[in-house]
Amino acid sequence: MAEPGRKGTTTGAMHRDGFVVAALVAWLGLIPVAAPSARAADSPANTLSDGDKKCLTCHASEGMTKNLGNGETLALRVHGEAFAKSVHAPLGCAICHAEINLDKHPGAQRKIETRRGYAVAMIEVCRTCHEDKFKLYEGSVHASLLRAGIPVAPVCTDCHSPHSIAPKAAGQPMKAVACRKCHETIFEAYAGSVHGLARGKSAESPAPLCAGCHRAHDVGAPSVGDRLRNTCIACHGGTIESHQSWLPNAERHLEVVSCPACHSPGAQRKVDLRLYDGVSRERMVEKKGVPQFEDRARSADKEGDGLDAIALRSLLKQFNVEGAERTTTLRGRLEVRTGVEAHQLSDKSRAVSNCDSCHREGADPFQSVTVSIVGADGRPLRHDAQKEVLNSAVSVESMRGFYAIGGTRIKLLDVLLVLALLSGILVPVGHMTVKWLFRRYLDQIAKQKSLENQTAEPARGGDTPGKQ
Amino acid sequence: MQTLYVHPLPVRIWHWTNALGFIALIVTGLQIRYVGLIGLMPFKTAVSLHNWIGFVLIANFFVWFFFYLFSDKIKVYHPELSAMKHFRASFRQLQYYGYGIFKGDPNPHHVSAYHKFNAMQSMTYQVIMLLLVPIQFYTGVLLWDVKRFSGMVELFGGVRVVDTVHVLLFIFFVAFIFIHPYLASLGHTPTAHFKAMFTGYEEVEEETGRDSIA
Repeated sequence: MAEPGRKGTTTGAMHRDGFVVAALVAWLGLIPVAAPSARAADSPANTLSDGDKKCLTCHASEGMTKNLGNGETLALRVHGEAFAKSVHAPLGCAICHAEINLDKHPGAQRKIETRRGYAVAMIEVCRTCHEDKFKLYEGSVHASLLRAGIPVAPVCTDCHSPHSIAPKAAGQPMKAVACRKCHETIFEAYAGSVHGLARGKSAESPAPLCAGCHRAHDVGAPSVGDRLRNTCIACHGGTIESHQSWLPNAERHLEVVSCPACHSPGAQRKVDLRLYDGVSRERMVEKKGVPQFEDRARSADKEGDGLDAIALRSLLKQFNVEGAERTTTLRGRLEVRTGVEAHQLSDKSRAVSNCDSCHREGADPFQSVTVSIVGADGRPLRHDAQKEVLNSAVSVESMRGFYAIGGTRIKLLDVLLVLALLSGILVPVGHMTVKWLFRRYLDQIAKQKSLENQTAEPARGGDTPGKQ
Repeated sequence: MQTLYVHPLPVRIWHWTNALGFIALIVTGLQIRYVGLIGLMPFKTAVSLHNWIGFVLIANFFVWFFFYLFSDKIKVYHPELSAMKHFRASFRQLQYYGYGIFKGDPNPHHVSAYHKFNAMQSMTYQVIMLLLVPIQFYTGVLLWDVKRFSGMVELFGGVRVVDTVHVLLFIFFVAFIFIHPYLASLGHTPTAHFKAMFTGYEEVEEETGRDSIA
C-alpha cells in the first residue's frame, strides 16, 4: 500500500487504506458505488459506459491526487458530468489511459517524475487520434518552444482540459480561453478591444477569439509572414477597396504597415527592418544549428548602441550569397511595439487616418528601429538599429526596399535642395548685381556706339548712290 | 527690328502648361516632402494634386514630342555633330553670359526660325526633355502606385532608389525653375523673350538676330 507523500505514489486527503480497499471492491462490482457527480438519475454521467463509471467511482472523488517524483502533486480527479458532456466521452477512459493495467490498478506503482513530464508524454496519446492537428502543432511556435526546452511551452493538455473538451461548434465564452493562462496581459488588452467587447457581449458574436486570428494549433509568431494581415482582410471584406477609396498607395500601405499600427490608435509604433534574401527574395531565416544573426549583429554594433548605417550595410554584406547577383536587402515594416498594443484594436472610426502621423520628420514610428531575421524556431530575432539609419544616404542601397515619404527622407537630399534653392536665387541675383555694377560702363559703351553710328551714318549716306 | 515666328502654337501651349505644371509639382512636392515644415495644404491633397498634375504633364510631354517628331521644326534640336564646333559654340555662349554681357558684347547666337536655340540651350534642352523629364515621369508613375509597378520598382533598384532619383531630379528642376526665367530676361529687353513665348514672334535685329532665347 502506498504511503502518503511517498514519491511516485498516489496520495491525498481521501487516500487512506480503507478508501483504496473500498475502491477496489467497487471496481470489482461487489458494491454498486456511483461517482458523486453521477448519482442523480438524470445526470449526464449516467450516459457513460459501465467501465468509465467504474473509473469515476474513485476518480470523481475530490482531492484525489498523486505525489510525483519531484514533490509535485498530480490531480487525478475527473469531473464525471463534465467528462460525460465532453467530445471524448464516447471514447471512454481506456482509450487514452491504455497504459493502465486494470488487474493491478490502482495498486501498481507507476512512477511519474513531474506534471510537466507527464503532460509532455501524453502528447503522443493525443497524436494517435489527432495526427492532423499534431502536424500543425509541430510547425507552431509553441512546439518550437517545447523543442527548445522552454518549461512553459504549451502542450495539448495546457490548452485542452483533457476530461472536459467541449464540442468544436459551441460558441466559446471568453472566460474559457486557454491562451489567457500564459498571455494574461495580452488577453486583457484583447478584452478591451473592439473584438473583445463584441465577444464579451455574446459568445455567438463573429468577433474572433485568439484562435480566430492566431489559429489554434499552427500558431505562428505574429510578426512573421502575412498570415495575420490576411486573416484581417479575410474577415473584413472589402478592406483593400475601402482603403483605396481614401488612401494613396493603399495596397502598398497594407503590405508594409501592420493593421494594429493604425487600428490601435494609442499604440507606439516602430520600424522593423527585415532581412530579405537577394536570391530567393524571401525573408531570411536562420539556419537550424547555425546561429549567425545575433553574433554578426553584435559584432557589427561595436558600441552596443544600435547599428548605424555603415554597420547595417556591413551586416547585410555578411549575409550576401557569394557570387550571387542580387544582394541581401532590407524591407521595412511598421509595427506596434508590444503584443499588448497589437491587441488594443479600436473601432475603425478611431483608426489613425492622419497621413502626417507617419509622413513628417520625427514621426513616432521612426523613433524606434530594429533589424530582424526569422529565427530557427520561427520567432523573429531582432537587433536594435539607430533611428538615423532611416535618413542616411549610406542606407539607400541597403534599405532600397523601404521608404516612407517625408518620414524617412534622406538628410543629404535636404542639403542639396537648399543648395539648389540658394543657387537658383543667388545665381540670378549675383548676375544682376554684376550687371548693375557694370551699368555705367555699359552706358558709356552704348553712348560710344551711338556716336560711332551717328558718324558712320552720314559717311555711308554720302557714299550711297541716289542720296545726294 | 524684325519679327520672326519661332514659337509655333503647340510649342507655346506645351511650354506654358509645362511651366505652370512644374511650378505646381514643385509646390506640392515640397508640401509632400516637408509636411511638418510647410502647411500650404493637407498632405493628402498635395499627393492627390501632385498625381493629377503629373499625369497632365505626361500627356503634355507628348504634345511637345509629337509636334517636333512630325514637323520640320525638329531642326531646332538637330545636334551639332562636330563635337569641337559644339564645344566652341557652347564656350562662346558661356563666355557671353559670364563675361561678355557685362561689357556689352553682342550675343554670339543669332536667332532664326530653325535655329532658335544657342549651343548650350540645344544640348541642355535635349538632355532635359529626352532624359531627365522622362525619368522624372517614370519614377513619378512608379511612386504613384508602388504595388502595381512593384516589378519595375524592383528592377529600378527598390522604392528608396526610385524616390531618391525622383527627388534628385526634383532638386535639379527647382534650380532650373529659378534660373530659366532669369536667362529668359536677358533678351534685348527683359520681357522680350516672355512676350515671344506668348505671341510666337521673336524680335530680332535686322539682318543679324542678336539674342538667344533662354
